[in-house]
Amino acid sequence: MIGTLFLLALLSLVLLCSVQVARCPDLVHSVLWLAVTLLSTACVLVWLAAPFLAGIQIVLYTGGVITLMLFGVMLTHRDATAVVPNPIQRPAVALVAAVTLLAILLAAIWRTPELAPAAMSPQHEVTTLQIGQVLLAEQLLAFEVLSVLLLAAMVGAIVLSRRKDP
Amino acid sequence: MSQLEALVEDPWLHGLVIGFLVLNLLMAVGGFASWWERRFAARIQNRIGPNIVGPLGVLQPIADLIKMAQKEDIVPRDADRVLFNLAPALPTFLALGGAAVIPFAGSWGEDGRWQNQLVVADLDIGILWVMALAGLMVFPVWMAGWASNNKYTLLAGMRAVAQGISYEIPLLLSALVAVVATGELSISGIVSWQAEHGWLIWRLPVLGFVAFLLFFLMSLAEANRIPFDIPEAESELVAGVMVEYTGLKFGLFLFAEYVHTFVAALLAVALFLGGAHGPFAERVGPLWLLLKAGLLFVSIYWIRWSWYRFRADQLMVLCWHYLIPITVLLVMGTATMVSLGWL
Repeated sequence: MIGTLFLLALLSLVLLCSVQVARCPDLVHSVLWLAVTLLSTACVLVWLAAPFLAGIQIVLYTGGVITLMLFGVMLTHRDATAVVPNPIQRPAVALVAAVTLLAILLAAIWRTPELAPAAMSPQHEVTTLQIGQVLLAEQLLAFEVLSVLLLAAMVGAIVLSRRKDP
Repeated sequence: MSQLEALVEDPWLHGLVIGFLVLNLLMAVGGFASWWERRFAARIQNRIGPNIVGPLGVLQPIADLIKMAQKEDIVPRDADRVLFNLAPALPTFLALGGAAVIPFAGSWGEDGRWQNQLVVADLDIGILWVMALAGLMVFPVWMAGWASNNKYTLLAGMRAVAQGISYEIPLLLSALVAVVATGELSISGIVSWQAEHGWLIWRLPVLGFVAFLLFFLMSLAEANRIPFDIPEAESELVAGVMVEYTGLKFGLFLFAEYVHTFVAALLAVALFLGGAHGPFAERVGPLWLLLKAGLLFVSIYWIRWSWYRFRADQLMVLCWHYLIPITVLLVMGTATMVSLGWL
C-alpha cells in the first residue's frame, strides 16, 4: 500500500517536472527540470526492480545528455529580455495528439505479456547478469547493429565538425 | 564490529545506524581536513600554519565556522536566486552519497570467505551508483557558475562542464577494469574478490597498477583538484564559480571539496587496494580502509601543493588523445586476460 502510494507520488513528480519542462519560460530552468524528470524516472525504475537501468539512465541521460544540453545553452548568447512564453497555441490539436499517443502506447503495453502491469512487481528483480546474457546471447545481432550505428554517428559528427583547411 | 552488526537485525535500521556513523565520520573528516591541509601546506612552504586556536591550532575550523556564519549573505542583484541558493547545497550531498556503497570493515567468515561489514547500502550496482553520482557532480558547479551571472563564474562553469563530461569517460573505463577483472558490479563484491585472490593493483600485472593510477588521477579531475582544478583556477578566474558566494554558502563548497576528495580516496582503495582487507582485519575494523584512504588523501594534497595546473586546452588534449585510448586498451587487455584464464 505504502509502496503504491510512493510510486504514485514518484509518477506525479515525473509528470509535474515534464509539464515544467514544456512550460518554463527560461531555457536553463527548462533543461534543469528535464534533469529532474530523468532523475525521478530513474527512481521509478528502481521501484520497478530494475536498478541497472536506473543507474544507466542517470549516467547516460542526466550525466551525459543533459550536460551536453547545458553546454549548448552556454555556448549561445544570453539575452535577459528574451522570454519564451510557451503558450498552448491550439489545445484541441494538442489534446488529440496526446490522446492518440497514449492509446498507442497503452495498446502496445497491454499486448506484450512481459510488459503487462501484473508482471511488473518488485518480486521480478532483473539482475545485471540476466541483462548481459540477453544482450550478448539472444539479442547479439541487434546489440552489434546498434554499436555500428553509434560508431557511424560518431564518425559523422567528427566529419561534420572537422575544420576545413584550405 | 560483528557484535555491533548483530545488534541491529532489521536491514532498514541497520542501514540507518551505519549511515549515521559513516556520515559523521565523513563530516568530521571534511571539517577538520581544512585545518590539516593548512598545516600540511604550511610545512611544504616552510611556514608554520594555524597554531593559535586550541592545541596545535586544531580548533581553527570551529573559529572559521563562527567567522563564516557572521558574514553577510549576499545574493547578486542579477543572479538567478533559486539556482544560486540551491547550488551550494548539492555538492556535499552528492559527495557523501558515494560513500554509501563502500564497505568500511570486513572479516573472514567461517567458510573461509571474506565478509564485508559496515556497508550503508550494499547495492548490486555499486559502481554504477558511484558513477551516476560523479556524473551529477557537474550540475551544482554549473548551476553556481550560471546563476551568479558573472563572467568569471560563467567561464568557470563552462570549463567545469567540459571537464566533467570528458573525464567521466576515462573514470568509468578505469573503474571498468576492476569490474571486468573481478566479474562483480558491487563494490563489496570487488573487495571480497580482492581479499580472496589478491589486491587488483598487484593481482593484475602492470594493468592493475596503471588502472589504479589513472582512476586516482580521474578522481582528482572529478573533484576539481590540482592538476585539474581549471574550474577554480584562482589566478585566472579569481575563484571560479565561488566568486559571488559569501559566508556559509562559500564554506559549503569548500567543505564539499574535502568530503569529495576523501570519498574519492575511499573508492580508489575499495576498487584497487583491497578495501578493508589487511592483516588482523577482524580486530582493527575500519582502520585498514581509513589508513589506506588517508595515505591517498595526503598524496592528493601533496600533489596539490607541489604541482602546477594544466591549461584548459591541454586538459582536453590529455583526456581525449591519451587517457581515453589508454583506458580503452586497459579494459581490452583485462578482458583478454580474463578470457584466457590468466586471472
